[in-house]
Amino acid sequence: MALTGDLNTFSFADILQVLARDKKSGVLLVEWNDMIVAYYVKDGELVFARPVDKVFRVYTDRNFDQLITRLRIKKEDIYKTIERFFLSRLNQKEGIFSFTPGFIKYDSDVPVYYPVEELIMRSSRYLTEEEVERKISDEMLIFEKTHDADEKVGRVKLTEEEKKVLSLVDGSKTVADIRKESGLDSLTVDRALYGFLATGIIRRKRKERIQKPSITLDLLAKIIEKIKQL
Amino acid sequence: MKELKKIKIVIAGPFAAGKTQFINTVSEIKTVQTERKTSGSEKNVKDYTTVAMDFGKIRIDDEHELYLFGTPGQSRFDFMWEILGEGALGIIVLVDSTDPKTFHEARRIINFFQSRFPVPIVVGANKQDMPNAWSAEDVKAALDISEDEGIPVIALSAKNKDEVKKTLLTLLEIIRYSLESS
Repeated sequence: MALTGDLNTFSFADILQVLARDKKSGVLLVEWNDMIVAYYVKDGELVFARPVDKVFRVYTDRNFDQLITRLRIKKEDIYKTIERFFLSRLNQKEGIFSFTPGFIKYDSDVPVYYPVEELIMRSSRYLTEEEVERKISDEMLIFEKTHDADEKVGRVKLTEEEKKVLSLVDGSKTVADIRKESGLDSLTVDRALYGFLATGIIRRKRKERIQKPSITLDLLAKIIEKIKQL
Repeated sequence: MKELKKIKIVIAGPFAAGKTQFINTVSEIKTVQTERKTSGSEKNVKDYTTVAMDFGKIRIDDEHELYLFGTPGQSRFDFMWEILGEGALGIIVLVDSTDPKTFHEARRIINFFQSRFPVPIVVGANKQDMPNAWSAEDVKAALDISEDEGIPVIALSAKNKDEVKKTLLTLLEIIRYSLESS
């Protein structure tokens, strides 16, 4: 199933989050105002990028190793395409994306110079106030580190500000507390939290309190039976 | 005449997520609607929208009725979410799976209900019958729903009665589990 959308309303941090979560493989096509770029994704990692003049050309190359051989790019140099066609465009928000899973075949190991967690954090550094509000929508939100936070952090070069923000995430401090205690401006804090959330370094803290349903089991069984019979 | 006791489930979700359709599909009465003509950019999406609430109902027995209350989708009406959430047995948050620009709003709605009404929540990844619909798994990832949140994401088309029933039954089974374990 293809994933399509608009970069204006669904940022690169969001897209990479979805691709990384299920370790998807395929091609992410972005139609920018000035060019079309195909981003190659292997197991949730962005491994290669190339501009294409016609979209259909992307779908004619189904073997990754043969593709880069034909393009005369050494495997150890493919990360440079990420720098040129991804990192350099993170401040651009106008584009339509579509991800097609599965059709590209990767014969051998492909080096990952920029882990997806690193790319998500870099993307989050370009988010506007309006964009960060989409995830950090309430200053009373509380976050906690995930069980594999250390492993994920190990794949990212955090800035000093991000390290500071992460050190304050403890499962009890609110976003408002973190903003205040860090001494950083709100946008810097929120961008960091957005990135941590998208990479899976932190998550929303689940409320322990679940209200006991105000209904008896017998009545509930009747409702279930009624719905089944509709 | 004896007044029937009301049991309430809230159907929430962003603008044009399919809440009214969801209620229409299973309600035993013609859904009571408070719709007005849309204007501005909303008009490009649909001609009418809910401005206070919709409700449909299902008679359970001689004493009880199940009400399905649909909230208005636009955030300018979020004061209604607070009113409708009070006393709800559970909440279904519908998402238009073809429209990723509404996913963040859906998450905001989940956060809203989680913080105020700690009752079971199910997400319905609606419009699966449309081209370009994101899968339920991808919607789940986009909404940052972690496994331990206990919020299932169900793929459905609100026009399909069996799929609407499945979504309701998923919520009711979570409520049953919650009752049995408390």
